[in-house]
Amino acid sequence: MSEWDLGKLAEKFEHVLSQLEQARRFNKQRYQAATLEAAARLLPLEGGVELLFEHAARYDRAGLFVDTAWDNPETLLPGLVRTSLESGDRVTVTIELLSELRLLALARGLHCHAGVPGEQARHFLTQVLALNLDYLLAGPAESSRVRLGNSAPAVDRVFRLLLAGIDFADILGSLVTEIQRMLAQRPIQVDSIKSMITQIAVARARGDDASESAGAEADLLVRALFGPSSSCADDPGLDVFEQRLAALEPDGLLAEARQFAEHMHGVGLVSDYHAQFLRWALASGREELLADALGLSSTGIDVLRCYQQLVHRLVGRAVHPQTAQCVYSLAMMLESGVLYAPPIAPALWRQIDLPLSPHCETLLTFAFGNAVPATDRLLAGALAILGQPLGIGQGNNPTCQSARAISMWAYNDPDYLLYLIQQAARFDEVVMHFEGTPISSAGVAATDLRQLPLDTDPVSVLLVPHLDKIYHHMGQLCADRGDDPHRWVNPEFHGWWVGRSFNLAVDLESGQLTAYRDFISRFYRSYHPYYNGNQPIIHPQPAGLAITDSNGAFVGWHAITLIRVALDQEGAMRVYFFNPNNDSGQNWGGGVQVSTDGHGERHGESSLPFAELVSRLYLFHAEAENSQAGSEPERGEVTEVMQMAVGSWASSRVQGVPAENEEKEN
Amino acid sequence: MGNYDRSKGYVAILGWSLNAIDAIDRFDRRYVIVAPPWAEEYANRYDIPFISWNFERLNERSMEIAQRLKDEGVDVAIPLYEETVEWAGAINSVLLGNPRLMGQALLFRDKALMKRRAQLGGIRVGIFEEAQDKSDVIRFLTRVNQALLKLDGDPNDPIHLKAFDKAGCLGHRVVRTADDVDNIPEDEFPVLMESHLDGWEFAVEAFIKDRKIQFMNISEYVTLGYSVFVPATPDLEKWRPRVKEEIEKLIEAFDIDFGFIHPEYFVTSDGKMYFGEVAYRPPGFNAFELIERAYGFNAYQAMVMMFDPKTTDEEIAEFFPREVVDAKGHAGCFGVYPRRRVINELKIPDDTAQDAYFEFHELQSPMQNKVPKRSAFGTHWGLVYFFGDDPYRLRDLLKAQEELDYYI
Repeated sequence: MSEWDLGKLAEKFEHVLSQLEQARRFNKQRYQAATLEAAARLLPLEGGVELLFEHAARYDRAGLFVDTAWDNPETLLPGLVRTSLESGDRVTVTIELLSELRLLALARGLHCHAGVPGEQARHFLTQVLALNLDYLLAGPAESSRVRLGNSAPAVDRVFRLLLAGIDFADILGSLVTEIQRMLAQRPIQVDSIKSMITQIAVARARGDDASESAGAEADLLVRALFGPSSSCADDPGLDVFEQRLAALEPDGLLAEARQFAEHMHGVGLVSDYHAQFLRWALASGREELLADALGLSSTGIDVLRCYQQLVHRLVGRAVHPQTAQCVYSLAMMLESGVLYAPPIAPALWRQIDLPLSPHCETLLTFAFGNAVPATDRLLAGALAILGQPLGIGQGNNPTCQSARAISMWAYNDPDYLLYLIQQAARFDEVVMHFEGTPISSAGVAATDLRQLPLDTDPVSVLLVPHLDKIYHHMGQLCADRGDDPHRWVNPEFHGWWVGRSFNLAVDLESGQLTAYRDFISRFYRSYHPYYNGNQPIIHPQPAGLAITDSNGAFVGWHAITLIRVALDQEGAMRVYFFNPNNDSGQNWGGGVQVSTDGHGERHGESSLPFAELVSRLYLFHAEAENSQAGSEPERGEVTEVMQMAVGSWASSRVQGVPAENEEKEN
Repeated sequence: MGNYDRSKGYVAILGWSLNAIDAIDRFDRRYVIVAPPWAEEYANRYDIPFISWNFERLNERSMEIAQRLKDEGVDVAIPLYEETVEWAGAINSVLLGNPRLMGQALLFRDKALMKRRAQLGGIRVGIFEEAQDKSDVIRFLTRVNQALLKLDGDPNDPIHLKAFDKAGCLGHRVVRTADDVDNIPEDEFPVLMESHLDGWEFAVEAFIKDRKIQFMNISEYVTLGYSVFVPATPDLEKWRPRVKEEIEKLIEAFDIDFGFIHPEYFVTSDGKMYFGEVAYRPPGFNAFELIERAYGFNAYQAMVMMFDPKTTDEEIAEFFPREVVDAKGHAGCFGVYPRRRVINELKIPDDTAQDAYFEFHELQSPMQNKVPKRSAFGTHWGLVYFFGDDPYRLRDLLKAQEELDYYI
């Protein structure tokens, strides 16, 4: 150890890093191991983490993450960091920590990486810190040290640098805000949020955190998860809780039910006790508690009365403490009235007793464990999607189209979605038609489970591989037609309601803007109520955005769903849309800040003022007659949109004629 | 492929090696890789200039590839592997209009011919013979030991068996007894047999242009087949002038105008140097990597320069550092063989992982628990790299690795 001084190791690191930098793309792998080895030895040393942080931009650009799971930082999930760190594998731990340092460099604007605006990096790291509070607070918690093993000192140093580097005036406050921001979007997947709250609970219980400002809010989150009612306020465990329920008078039970509902709708999280309460109520013949425990309005209560037997069966099979979150979805499904559509109830009866193929059984068990039977897990997943069509996230699956499609069907065509789930779950095959040709996903079941995206909801875990395969196949079928394949694939893949008039802002060959003013005008005439004869969007429509980072620089193309266009409470016309990524609050630069809460959004919706959305739009579908009809939008506004686009993602896509010159020409 | 210098040559690389391609792609010469069809898809994916060719035995189609490269405008062909050395000879005899190069390549490819040629050139070699079958081996073993005046019952001095045309340790066997002879598979014949020399074995990497040594490195073996480092200890480096003379003899005997050679020598305890063998291609054990670590220049690029007929003297003078004195340190590597019969996991020994000289390793976790029996010298499971200032400390460190378990 004596010879291990920082300078010597820094020299070794410098050597391998420069080799990695020089290496061509195909030979990066050869130098990755050496670079990681040198970094692994630097990490636990005094000053080592700082030195690596200074090199973060360099090693990222040099290709340290090429062909690894960390290659695309925009698809990384904060919830997986802990798994990597506790993997015990030196290389995995090192690459994970170096990835965190890279994100810190991004968050602080010291480095740019396409796809990850600084803001997003900051959100990511905040969540990583929240999920791993025990590494940070009050010294080493024995159990986590044991799991980290030899890498504990390195992890410790990196987390301290993150904490200092992110500059939290008030760490608890930041974490609480972060959690509230995510919960406002009502995601289906809440495991990661639950873990963060658990960490906060542990810290609060130990009295580690001195901050009082966020204390009350933090406690509310903790209570929603661990003790939302009087009988479980002290988090007594499920058995004691049931004994207490048995001893309660009807009034007391009613109060319990209402407390559960209040926390669930207020916070967006369902406590395990809540799930147990529902199971207990049905098992002990107190069905009358259901409506209050779900917090139903008159609509929901009406649906519950019409479909009582079905709902009871759904609760019995889908609701377990391990699947507690689907209680919220169930409530939302009842409220939506979707059960009044004739095919839904029988389709759900089919879903309840659906026999699963051996592959489906294995897949769901592999992804979610066997605490709950796979059929029930899938049923809970189906309820989640039906109740929260906009709560789905793409996980770390790089293709967003499949998540968007599932969401669109859940929103617009739920019985078709239930049909697809049934096909995939029973027969391991989904068949769709492309211009009359059947396209099958058969063979997907043979994929190695470890290759599949497993970090999403049960329906996505099951369906996405099928959908990805079919989507790509459709794309191949029209790859040589000389136009953007979305023109044909989008309507065939999603459904008849996708508008057949296809609009693209850029020329496919050159990538340059083409007939851009006309493109904008058509969108206004199709979708803006002031120019389209006050016609609201009827069906959700797929659209494509050019995503930009907080500096307005182009990041990549992204699929979204247009849901509605309406005035917000301040009288501004906004587009409300669904973004299938896992966290939609993003700053796209030039003042374009995507809102997820506070501007009239329904849970899960993102929104932007109309012009701002159009400034990032590059692809949309419309009904042919609509984009011709309607009235011409205001010139000034269109020009403004053009300038916003040219000032950001389209800056290098203007051929010869800059936007303002074009304005003069006209 | 980026920009290349049009005043310099266009080279064809015979064989597929990502390290070589990576280095040459970064260099300033136009190049094309000539390699078997299985590499084609990969080459296309990464825009690597590629011509697909199957290097089987030389045959009547050899002319075809030579002509194709000539039409393409290639100036010279450079072999990466033992198997492509004779192809390079055949192709270069066409490209450079020098039929002698073909014969020269055949000398490099047949170890028995090679030794004869060296002997004719006045180079000292051990006793050797070709064997067609096992009876030849028994006879040679007996005769050598008789000559050493061994009595019945004395342990035999070993002899070495090598395939005529394989690289390095492939097919290298040490034979001491009649039982050892029985274990040789029939399909390994014919082989070259050599007497055993007790001494200090080392290798030389010599970059040659215009019949002159432009740069010469001495690689010191710690234990043959296990470990090597560059530059050598001062104890071995003091032989450098003698080594240089020997290389010059090789250049004459083999009539080498240009290229890169990699000969092996023994120095016996009485200070005599024996020639072992010579190859006309990059050495195994990643010696090029070690040279780059120690000296900072890329040896693949250096090799390309040696082959390219358009290389200038100024370019060479600028490219190479000064031998020994310009080395930034000593770089070595160790080839790991599992020491146990049954293993569970890869674990870098703590002492190694914490040693300041340790750099990194290329070892994989085991796919199966049972270690296959090693035949002949076999192939190591991966290399472990070291770098440091003190060659003696490095040598002892490499030696110490032989007693450590990497797989447990």
